Amino acid sequence: MATAFTPYSYIQCPCSDITPTDRRSGGSPTTPEPDDDDRAFDPRAPRSSFSLYPLEYLMYCEDCHQIRCPRCVAEEIVTYYCPNCLFECPVCVGPLAVTSVETKPDPNLLAAPDNSAAPLAGPYALTCSYCLWTSTEVGIQFDKPNGIHAQLAKLRNGGTTRLTAKERKERRKDPSYKAQPPPPDSQDLDHEAQFANLKAFYQGQLADPNTADAGLALLGDLGFSSPTSLSRIMSIYTGGSLLHDKKAKTRLGAMREALDPDEGLLVASLDESAAISKLRSEGLDGTASTAQLVGQPPNMVEPPLHGNERFLDTLRPVPHLLRTKRSKRCPVCRHIISKPESKVQTTRFRIRLVAGSYIPSISIRQLALSSGTGSGTSASGPAVPGAPLEPLKPAHFLLTFKNPIFETIKVTLGAPATTPGRFASRVTVLCPEFEVDANTDVWDEALKNNAERDRELRRRRGESVSANSGGISSANQLEVGKIWERGRNWVSIVVEVVPASLALAPGNPPLREDEDVLEIPMFVRVEWEAEMAGDEVGAAPSRSNSEAREKRELAYWCVLGVGRIRQR
Amino acid sequence: MSSRRAPRGEYIETDTGNKVARKATLVGTQHIMLGGKTVIQPDAMIRGDLVRTIHPSSQSGGNAAPQNNTAISIGRYCFLSRNCCLRPPGRFYKGAFTYMPLRMGDHVFVGPGAVVQAASVGSHVHIGAGCVIGEFAIIKDYVRILDGTVVPPNMVIPSFSIVAGQPARVIGEVPEGGHEAFELRDLYKTVGNNPQPAPH
Ligand SMILES: [Zn+2]
Ligand SMILES: [Zn+2]
Ligand SMILES: [Zn+2]
Ligand SMILES: [Zn+2]
Repeated sequence: MATAFTPYSYIQCPCSDITPTDRRSGGSPTTPEPDDDDRAFDPRAPRSSFSLYPLEYLMYCEDCHQIRCPRCVAEEIVTYYCPNCLFECPVCVGPLAVTSVETKPDPNLLAAPDNSAAPLAGPYALTCSYCLWTSTEVGIQFDKPNGIHAQLAKLRNGGTTRLTAKERKERRKDPSYKAQPPPPDSQDLDHEAQFANLKAFYQGQLADPNTADAGLALLGDLGFSSPTSLSRIMSIYTGGSLLHDKKAKTRLGAMREALDPDEGLLVASLDESAAISKLRSEGLDGTASTAQLVGQPPNMVEPPLHGNERFLDTLRPVPHLLRTKRSKRCPVCRHIISKPESKVQTTRFRIRLVAGSYIPSISIRQLALSSGTGSGTSASGPAVPGAPLEPLKPAHFLLTFKNPIFETIKVTLGAPATTPGRFASRVTVLCPEFEVDANTDVWDEALKNNAERDRELRRRRGESVSANSGGISSANQLEVGKIWERGRNWVSIVVEVVPASLALAPGNPPLREDEDVLEIPMFVRVEWEAEMAGDEVGAAPSRSNSEAREKRELAYWCVLGVGRIRQR
Repeated sequence: MSSRRAPRGEYIETDTGNKVARKATLVGTQHIMLGGKTVIQPDAMIRGDLVRTIHPSSQSGGNAAPQNNTAISIGRYCFLSRNCCLRPPGRFYKGAFTYMPLRMGDHVFVGPGAVVQAASVGSHVHIGAGCVIGEFAIIKDYVRILDGTVVPPNMVIPSFSIVAGQPARVIGEVPEGGHEAFELRDLYKTVGNNPQPAPH
């Protein structure tokens, strides 16, 4: 109630049509009739919210002559790009900047006289410019102001360093390391290291001919531990032929599993007492919110199990998500209906068939009437926009249909007499059938010869002027079958609405969210004549052919949200 | 506070088609570049006085030639609503504080009461009412910033983003059919000393 209501019109994509006959393949002139009220569209049905889109979100297939929506188009990624090579704040998603960690200058030092060098001195931290979070809060700081990704990969929260996978590999090769006893626990084993160790272990197993032990041969090819299934599974997770081993195909039998951290065994630590005592001391303020945890990427540099990422000090800077440019295909004919240029810097599109260039837009404005109700009443300017509608009092809305195509279109509207749902408001479309002139060039218009223009002007004004000889544009008449106003490529008509009362009998469930919004389902049929489509394969582009006109039509449901009904 | 001649109209209309409200506050006009056909509504403020004091080219820093010293450049068909404020961002550079220029492309709508301290705002950008655009933010083309959004300093907003919230986050993508809605040619005609009604 607090904010003014903005009228809207949403259009239903034909992909939500669940009737078995394939009507959406288009081209066939037998478009379904909204014949009976059973077929009438209910914008409040739970399913409807998934098929209704504002016009800007809809595409149009020129081959199918049909609307396509974000839900039914097939997307293909044209290119990936990085919008910002730094990190996001794990607390508030603000951008993180590299800043120098404030270090007190050593008084004994022969202080750098050049003041300008001071802010560039290390160590460095990532600092949020919005909430002032800094990575030093989780014990992370950097020696260099550049190469943050690489430095971060070597740092655990708290500042302890870790070995990268490459360094571990080298360490394993080092004979002096082998001699040492294995580390006492698996604390050192983070996601990345565990995966690397397991991979190395299994690769060793596959290569070792002695593993063809027939101990569990019964399981054969199904064997969970058989080399065959192992190499198949591993090739799935390591991306392709990395582990492809032709010999393994013929070998059956089981292999042993990892036995220590060096082989990738990680024993789950089920002791949560540390987390519990930390929760006692720090309270809920010290814990991370669900949104913050969801925003965290998988932490590759910490041990994966139990107790991680629950407290604020386990959060890590989040790399920016990559963005994509995507092209879109028609789901039926597979033609491309949208294709951006692949260059990241440009915002141009090679192909961009948006529905707004093919079907009329509908804008909604409330009319304020000077007196009384019913037909023949004169109107005086627009009503207070967004004000609530009075129950049981007729209200009038101006629907303006703007034609984007270069042909005159005939529009036919159908709306149920009462809105569906618990509160049935009465709806009357005063002029359900009208023509909208073509979207001709403004200059074409100006260059038309005078006679033609006069005739046209007379025709345009004809409807309203003839209704009332004293009619002027600011006092149009409400009359059934007459349009309200007409312009170059647009027509305004009036819809009369008698909002229902929102009073509920005792015992009825209370008003649901947005149940007070008066939504009018409306079936729109657009008909026009176009030049014969030249895209038919084999159609000879002869002179006579180009003059042939074919009838086209497009029909769809839409919903008009006109206002909120006042609650008593 | 100074007395003015009786205004003929609310706006001063320049040769290049800019419509500048007499009640707008433009400080340091010699440092403000207007591309043409831009509307500046009453009580909007543009701080051209916050001009860059350090130039990477100048050796001594601070006494650069005052010419060619643009603090704020604004493209064509921009619309600066009432009470909005454009202010160049400032920072320490080689030990001294300096302002840096604010660049704005074409068809940029700045909503009422918004404060913009970005380093650059692309073309076809909508900045909603009451937004705060932090210092050195970079806003690319075809970006819609919903009312009341706070864009933190240094944030980079990629093209075709819809952002909202405090701090701002990307909440959606501008659909293919939504490009034309950024055009401000029609809005330009509806203000000035001879405003035309909005077309249907
Ligand atoms: Zn669809
Ligand atoms: Zn990057
Ligand atoms: Zn933050
Ligand atoms: Zn198609």
